[in-house]
Amino acid sequence: MTVTSMKGTAGQIVSSILVTALLVGSLVAVLEIEDQRALGICVAIIAGLSFLAPKLGILRGAEQAGAHHPWAVRLIILIGFCSLVLILKDNNFALLMIATILIYATVCLGITIQTGYAGLFNFAGAAFLGTGGYTAAMLANATWLPDIVTILLGGVIAAALGTVLILPVLRTRGHYAALTTLAFGVLFNGFLEANEMLGGPQGLKVPGIQIFGWDFSNDLVIGSLSFSFYANYVLLIGAIFALFMIFTRFIERSWIGIWLDAVRLDEIAVSVFGLRISVWKSFAFTAGNFLAGVMGAVYAKMTEFIAPANFTFGDSLLLVAIVLLGGIGNRWGVLVATMIVILLPEKLQFIQEYRLLLFACIIILLLMVRPAGLLARRVRVFEERH
Amino acid sequence: MSSIAQYLLNGLMQGTIYGLVAIGFTIFFGVMNVIKFSHGDVLTFGAFGGLVAAWAATALGFPIWLELVFVVLISVMASAAIGAIIARGLVLPLKDAPPLNMLLMTMMVGTAIRECIRLFFPNGTNPQRFPELLPSGGFDLSGVYFRYDGLILIAAGIAFIFAVQWIINRTRLGLAIRAVAEDGETARTMGINFTLTVAIAFAIGSMTAGVAGALYGLYYSEINYSMGLILAIIGFSAAIIGGLGNIWGAIVGGYLFAGLQTAVVALLPALSDYKNVIALIVVVALIAWRPTGLLAERGSERV
Amino acid sequence: MSAGSKNESPLIASGLSVKFGGLLALNELSIEVRRGEVLGLIGPNGSGKTTFFNVISGIYAASAGQVLLDGRDITTLRPHQIAAHGLARTFQRSRLCLSLSVFDNLMLGAVRRLNSGLWYNLVRRDRLAADVRSAAKEARDLLAIFNPDLAGKLWQPAISLGMIDRRRLEICRALIGRPKIVLLDEPSAGMTHDETNQLMNEILEVRRNLGNLTVVMVEHEMGLIERATDRCVVLNYGKKICEGKYADVAADPLVREAYLGKS
Repeated sequence: MTVTSMKGTAGQIVSSILVTALLVGSLVAVLEIEDQRALGICVAIIAGLSFLAPKLGILRGAEQAGAHHPWAVRLIILIGFCSLVLILKDNNFALLMIATILIYATVCLGITIQTGYAGLFNFAGAAFLGTGGYTAAMLANATWLPDIVTILLGGVIAAALGTVLILPVLRTRGHYAALTTLAFGVLFNGFLEANEMLGGPQGLKVPGIQIFGWDFSNDLVIGSLSFSFYANYVLLIGAIFALFMIFTRFIERSWIGIWLDAVRLDEIAVSVFGLRISVWKSFAFTAGNFLAGVMGAVYAKMTEFIAPANFTFGDSLLLVAIVLLGGIGNRWGVLVATMIVILLPEKLQFIQEYRLLLFACIIILLLMVRPAGLLARRVRVFEERH
Repeated sequence: MSSIAQYLLNGLMQGTIYGLVAIGFTIFFGVMNVIKFSHGDVLTFGAFGGLVAAWAATALGFPIWLELVFVVLISVMASAAIGAIIARGLVLPLKDAPPLNMLLMTMMVGTAIRECIRLFFPNGTNPQRFPELLPSGGFDLSGVYFRYDGLILIAAGIAFIFAVQWIINRTRLGLAIRAVAEDGETARTMGINFTLTVAIAFAIGSMTAGVAGALYGLYYSEINYSMGLILAIIGFSAAIIGGLGNIWGAIVGGYLFAGLQTAVVALLPALSDYKNVIALIVVVALIAWRPTGLLAERGSERV
Repeated sequence: MSAGSKNESPLIASGLSVKFGGLLALNELSIEVRRGEVLGLIGPNGSGKTTFFNVISGIYAASAGQVLLDGRDITTLRPHQIAAHGLARTFQRSRLCLSLSVFDNLMLGAVRRLNSGLWYNLVRRDRLAADVRSAAKEARDLLAIFNPDLAGKLWQPAISLGMIDRRRLEICRALIGRPKIVLLDEPSAGMTHDETNQLMNEILEVRRNLGNLTVVMVEHEMGLIERATDRCVVLNYGKKICEGKYADVAADPLVREAYLGKS
């Protein structure tokens, strides 16, 4: 019996368990293996399995499980995530990588709402991430402010800045909105480097997170188990990521989701039916930048240090590349693509220097032969059952 | 008084470079309705091509005037060639794709060019010295010091702008380009080779980048792999202020941007580090005020 | 003037002019649409029919003149504001969102009465789900009047539909928002003669079901105009050259000249 023949609930649940296991297993393997040749073989095996998964119907099964039994799937993912943290519990580097992946994936969820749904260009993802980070750094002296508020403020400031950027060009052609984010993305670095108050090129130190006496800079101890202090951040970031995944899903499967798609596809035609184009454009842009800002603040607090070099235009381009590689508008595609784009250069060191060139070429190729990306977005179908 | 004239000359030089870049954007947009964001990196490519040409010329012992001609020629040809290749191989196949895909394509092509120069040009990460091929020195006119090289370059740039304008508006080739810009389908039925015309139009647009790259190198005596990025943003915004698709508008936009930068440096020296930021803020305000550009008449969306 | 009183004309355009560069696309055009009628708008290519629709629906700005919709001045309003006053339209070239489902496309026509609130859409998912169910039922019922097959394709992408079904979907999208007046821009474009006839029967039937909805229709197929319209307005070079019943209009020498050229 192949997996393909497993129809119904059981097949769907098994499929989602298999997909989760594949993701967790791949992450552990790639993060734990040090030897470059073994790593290469490992990556090849993962690529092979990923190629096989859709052929066996596993992906489709997992997708249907997500539609019909969302809470079961969420439980499976939660178990997968916890085992991942448990397996990597004292591996500082691995946990930092997981946290970085989740941070970038969240920013890309924001870009998915902006570009994938509403069709707004954002070539300043890294700059909005940085805005959140610098907000957290500037608020470091305000120790009376709870860290949760600081993090939220990071999101609010990034969202507000983004809104100020896009409002003047909201009624103009799409290209002009591209110009403002482009300019912001490119000039952000130089602006920070020239600004003494923001620490110039050397950057700023940022204190770690403390929530209700839970100090994120100490090792996490649960019962007799001891985790690296990064586990604190992985758990927090994982929770935020999960929240935003659900948020994005709810946006997409709602009237708002239809409105955003329509804004992207044909704004003139749908304005005739009463859709307020500029309202939905600003909503999408603001929401997306909020996600980036929140994660920027968390990122700054996790690394306890930020500098302009973390938020270059190249990073912004990588974020857009992730969204396109994953399959524009597909949330899970974002996660998979982030793993590839972040982990591959980090682990296969010979790529590191060439990563921007490599991903630029991959995107060029993708645009020519498979513009839908690795995991193409599906047509929206609302559940009609009770 | 003299310092004002100095600012003016410097602004004129920058404006000429920006205007040249903006003309490219405006040609690409006019012909194919695309924002070809790799334009800035095509400029860098041309400048580095010129640098290699200068090295070769020195090795071959060319006299300095021949070296100069050689450098400019290679810059222009390198830009034109890569521009035509990008148009034929990467832009045309995507002409029916969503605009986001097209913008991403040109942006990634630009990134690839930029990264290739950084990674594979000898010592590419660092700025490269560009040879000084123009007569150094200058003359003093009532307290204002005129650099010979500056004057020559401004004159050459403006001459090239007029040449491009002449090709587009006064030649048969230009007529074909304008026909394709007006309506590609109709132009095709009238026997115009669409693909070839687009490639040539992109080559001409990219030549402006080559000239701008050579001017930049000869004037500032230094080029680096990422210089095209900021020039692209400035050129793009200059083209928008002028009303995309309008050549004279692009030139006005270029000088306007340089004027804004110069005004910031001259009037608010403390903020000179932020001259690009401030100039861009003004530009965005202008775009919000006149979305179709300063020179264009009110257009309407196609329905 | 009281808004929306029974006998008043729902749509009055007076002295409407539109300039594109130096070209006058509409030249002091005045058209009055009567409540409950089907008005045919005819004229040679480029005579300003579609431009008229674009001005009425707010896509183009008029350079002179005034448009009254149910007694309200809508001349300077933006498209979404005009839609709120009960105007809907179709487009000459299909303007469906092809990658979205049939349902999504239909719902775009109902955007004004669906709840776009954040709290409702993100938190009250139970209420949203119930509304989706009832909207899906309404959508199926409407589509079924045109083509029962179409009702079964609610969740398929619009790109999977054939030409005539796409046109049906566009018309349904204009109707589902329960407008007071509908502008149909060449419903027959790109279809065969038989398909066109079939579609027109469907449109007329649905219109009767909706209590004699007011319709303005641009059409080239003269058989359709003859059969479907109560009255016609003929445009040429952005000007009204003739108005009246189809039979009278067709006999008018000015109209013949506009179509056939001076002989």
